[in-house]
Amino acid sequence: MLLIDLTVNGLIIGLFYALMAIGLSLIFGILRIVNFAHGEFYMIGAYAYTLIALFFGISPWLTLPCAFIAGMALGWATERLLMRPLYSGYASWGVMKDEYAVIITFALSLLLINLVDKVIGPNGYRGPSLVATTRVEIGPFMASGHRLMAAGIALLVLIAVGLFVRYSYWGRQIQAVAQNRLGASLAGIDTAKASSIVFALSGGLAALAGALLSPIINATPDVGAFPAVKSYVIVVLGGMGSIPGAAVASLILGVLESFGAVYISYGYRDTFGLVILILVLLFRPHGLFGERSREV
Amino acid sequence: MACLSIDSVSKFFGGHKALDDVTFSVNEGELVGLIGPNGSGKTTLLNILSGYLSADSGDIVLDGRPITGLRPEALARLGVLRMFQLTRVFPRMSVLDNLLVTGSALGLPEAEADGRARELIEDLTLTRMMHLDAGQLSGGQRKLLEFGSCFMVPPRIALLDEPFAAVHPTMKEIMAGVIRRRHAAGQTFLLVSHDMPVIVELCPRAICMNAGAVIADEKTRAVLTDPVVIEAYLGEAAA
Amino acid sequence: MAVTFNDTRMRDRIQLVFSLGIFALVALLPAIVRNEYWQGVLIVSMYFAMLAAAWNLLAGYTGQFSLAPAAFGMIGAYVTGLLSYHFNAPPLVGIPAAVVVSAAIGFGLGRIVLRLRGPYLALTTLSFAEICRLVISNSIEITRGDLGLSVPGIFDHRLTWYYVMLGVLVVIQLGLYFLLRAPAGLYLRAIRDDEIAAASRGVKIVLWKTNAFTLSAAISGLAGALYGHFAQFVSPELGLLSQTGIIVSMVVIGGLATLPGPIGGAFLVYVASEFLRDFGGYQLIVFALLVIIFARFFREGLWGFFRRAIERTGRRPAPAPSAAE
Repeated sequence: MLLIDLTVNGLIIGLFYALMAIGLSLIFGILRIVNFAHGEFYMIGAYAYTLIALFFGISPWLTLPCAFIAGMALGWATERLLMRPLYSGYASWGVMKDEYAVIITFALSLLLINLVDKVIGPNGYRGPSLVATTRVEIGPFMASGHRLMAAGIALLVLIAVGLFVRYSYWGRQIQAVAQNRLGASLAGIDTAKASSIVFALSGGLAALAGALLSPIINATPDVGAFPAVKSYVIVVLGGMGSIPGAAVASLILGVLESFGAVYISYGYRDTFGLVILILVLLFRPHGLFGERSREV
Repeated sequence: MACLSIDSVSKFFGGHKALDDVTFSVNEGELVGLIGPNGSGKTTLLNILSGYLSADSGDIVLDGRPITGLRPEALARLGVLRMFQLTRVFPRMSVLDNLLVTGSALGLPEAEADGRARELIEDLTLTRMMHLDAGQLSGGQRKLLEFGSCFMVPPRIALLDEPFAAVHPTMKEIMAGVIRRRHAAGQTFLLVSHDMPVIVELCPRAICMNAGAVIADEKTRAVLTDPVVIEAYLGEAAA
Repeated sequence: MAVTFNDTRMRDRIQLVFSLGIFALVALLPAIVRNEYWQGVLIVSMYFAMLAAAWNLLAGYTGQFSLAPAAFGMIGAYVTGLLSYHFNAPPLVGIPAAVVVSAAIGFGLGRIVLRLRGPYLALTTLSFAEICRLVISNSIEITRGDLGLSVPGIFDHRLTWYYVMLGVLVVIQLGLYFLLRAPAGLYLRAIRDDEIAAASRGVKIVLWKTNAFTLSAAISGLAGALYGHFAQFVSPELGLLSQTGIIVSMVVIGGLATLPGPIGGAFLVYVASEFLRDFGGYQLIVFALLVIIFARFFREGLWGFFRRAIERTGRRPAPAPSAAE
C-alpha cells in the first residue's frame, strides 16, 4: 500500500512542479531563453501569499489571487524592462542574445533574493493553510487537507492554462510566435504583447506554486532555488518549449522523487535530477517526447 | 582531369527526397554554374559537399581522394571553401581579422596572411572598412567579405551559394571581376545563382537541377534553351 | 596611419597596457593600505580576478557561456585540500595537482558539451556545477561535507601572499594576452561569433573549444588551490552558484571580452562589497542592479567608458573611423 501512497504523493508534487515548469517552458518557447530567475517568481508568490495573510489577517482564499497577481506583475515587468532587447533590434543582437539572457536573468535572481533578504529578512514564514483539516485518509492514502486542496487548485489551473494556450485568441498567437517569431510578426501578430503575456502568465503560475506550497515549505529568500532546478530538469526532460511535455515530465519527476527519497540515497537525491538533465541534453536534446526539429 | 566528382549522391529529409542520384564532375580549372528552381536541391548539395550534411548514399571524390562524410573544417583544409547563401561573417571582428582567421586556419604564416588579406581587401574595394567590425558593414559588403574569405588561400574548389543575391550591382561587378580573373588563372568554381545573365556571362558550362535530380548538364547556352529546363522553371504549361 | 582600436591586435595591446597599469597600481597599494585585513581583501580580489579572467576566456572570447567557473575554483581548492588532509601532501604537490585535475575535468566537460549552445550549454554547465558541489558536500567520509577542510598555509606574511598572488595574476594575464595575440586568439573569437562560419574557413572547432575549456578550468583550479592555502580553509560554499554570479558580475561590470575588464571588475566589485558590508550589507543588491544596468545599457562595461575616453583624447592625425555608427 506504500506503493499507492508514494505514487499519489508523487503525482501531487508533480502538479506543483508543473505550475513552475510550464511557465518556464512557455518562456523558452517564445524567446528561446532559460529564465534563471524563475525560482524567484515562485519566491515572490510564497511571500505575497504568506505576508498579506499574516499582516492583514485576510482569508488565505483571498490572498491566493494576490500572490498570482504579484507574480504576474513581476513577470510582466521583467519582460517589459529587461527582455525587450532580445527581439527589438533583432538582427544586430544575434551573437549576444544568449549571453544577455543568461546574464540578465541570473542577475535578476541574485537581485530579488538579496532584496527580499534585506527588506523582509532571512527568517522563514509559514503560509496559512487553505483548509483546516490536518489529515485526510482515503483508503491507504493520507495527506493534509491543504495538500489535497492545493493539488486540486493546481490541477484546475493547469487545465485552464492548457485550454487558454490551445484555444484562446492570445493562446494561439503565443503558439504562432513560439513557432516563428518573424513569421508571426509578418502576419500582424503583436509579438511584443505575446511575450508580455507569456511572462506575466509564467510569473503568475510560478507565484501560485510558491503560494500553494508555502504552508509546506516556509517562505525564505532562497526558497525558489529548489523548484527552479526541478523545473530546469523537467523542461529539458519534456523537451524545451513543449507544454504537454513539461506537464508529463513534471508528474514523472514527482513520482520518481517520491520513490527515490524512500529507496535511494537521501543525500544525493538532488543530484539525480541534474544527472538526468545532462544525459537528456546530450543524448535526446529535444526531450523524451519532443520531435527532432531541423535547423538548416 | 576531374577536380571534384560527385557520384550518385542521394539525400532524404524524412520521406522527402532532396537529392536524387546526383552525378556530375567538375574538371580542374572549370567554372560551372549550378542553376535550378527554388527547392531543387542546390543548397542541400552544397551543404553535403562542404560537410554540413552527410549524404545518405553516394560518393564524393576530390582530387582522386574520397571526401564523403568529412567534417567542414577538414574539407576546408583540403581546399573546399564555401560561401553561404545567408551571409556568415564574424560580426565582432574587424574586416582584416575576418580574413586573417581563414588565412591562419589554413596554415599561412602570419606575415603572408596579412599581405594576402590586404591585397584581397584592396581587390574587393573594402579598404576604407578594413578596420571596422564586420557587424558594421552593409549586407553587400558582408557578402564581399565572405566572398573574399574563400580566396585567402587559393582553394581547390570554391563553392559559391548565391553570391549575387540582393547585392548592389557595383558589388556584383566586383565579385564577377574577381571570379573572372581567378578563373582565367585556373581556379575551379561551382557557382550557384539565380542570376541567368551572370551565369551565361561567366560560366561556360551549367548544370540544372530540379526536384533533387540533375536534369541538364552541358554548355550554358544549350542548358538554358533545353525544353526540360524551361519546363522545370516555368511549369508544364509553358513547355 | 590613423590610430584605430578595432583590429584585435591593436585592441589587445591597448588593453594589456591598461591591465598592466591596474597591476602596477595594485602593487603600490600596500604602501597605503597597511591594514592586514584590507590587504587580505585585496588578496581575495586577486583570487576572483583569476576566476574572472578564466571565465572571460571561455565566455567572452570563445562564446561558451559556462555557469561553472566557481565549481572549478572549488575543485582546485579541494584537490590540494584533500591531498594535504589525507596524505599530508605539501602545497608544492597539491597546487600543481589541483591545476592538472581541474584541467582534466575541464577537458572532459568541454568534450561533453561540444555540441551544446546557448541555453542548453548554460543549463548543462549549471547542472555540472551543482553536481560537483552536492557530491563534495555529501561525501562526508572523504571531504567532511559542509564542515569543510582546514588546509595548511604557505607563507607567514600577508605581504608575501599579496605579491605571490599578484605575480601569478600577472603571469596569467600575460599568458592570456599572448594566447589571444597568436592565431589562437583569432580562432577563439571566430568560434564565438559564428561557429559554422569558423568551421567552413578551416578552424578546428573541436580542438579550440576543448582547449578553451581546459585552459579556463586550469586557471580556475590554480586560483582555487591558492585561495585554499591562503584562507587555510575550503568548503563547498566556494562552488555555490552565487559565487558564479559574483564572477559573472565582475566580468560584466568590468567589460566582457576585454583584458582589463575582469581584472578591474574583480577589484572594484570585491573591494566595494567590503565597504558596502559596513553599511548594512547591500552589496549584492547593488551589484546585481549594476550588472542589469550594464548588461542592458552599457554592454562594454566600464572598459567601454575608458575606450571612448581614449579614442576622444587619442592622437588622431586623420579622422579615424568611428566605432559606432
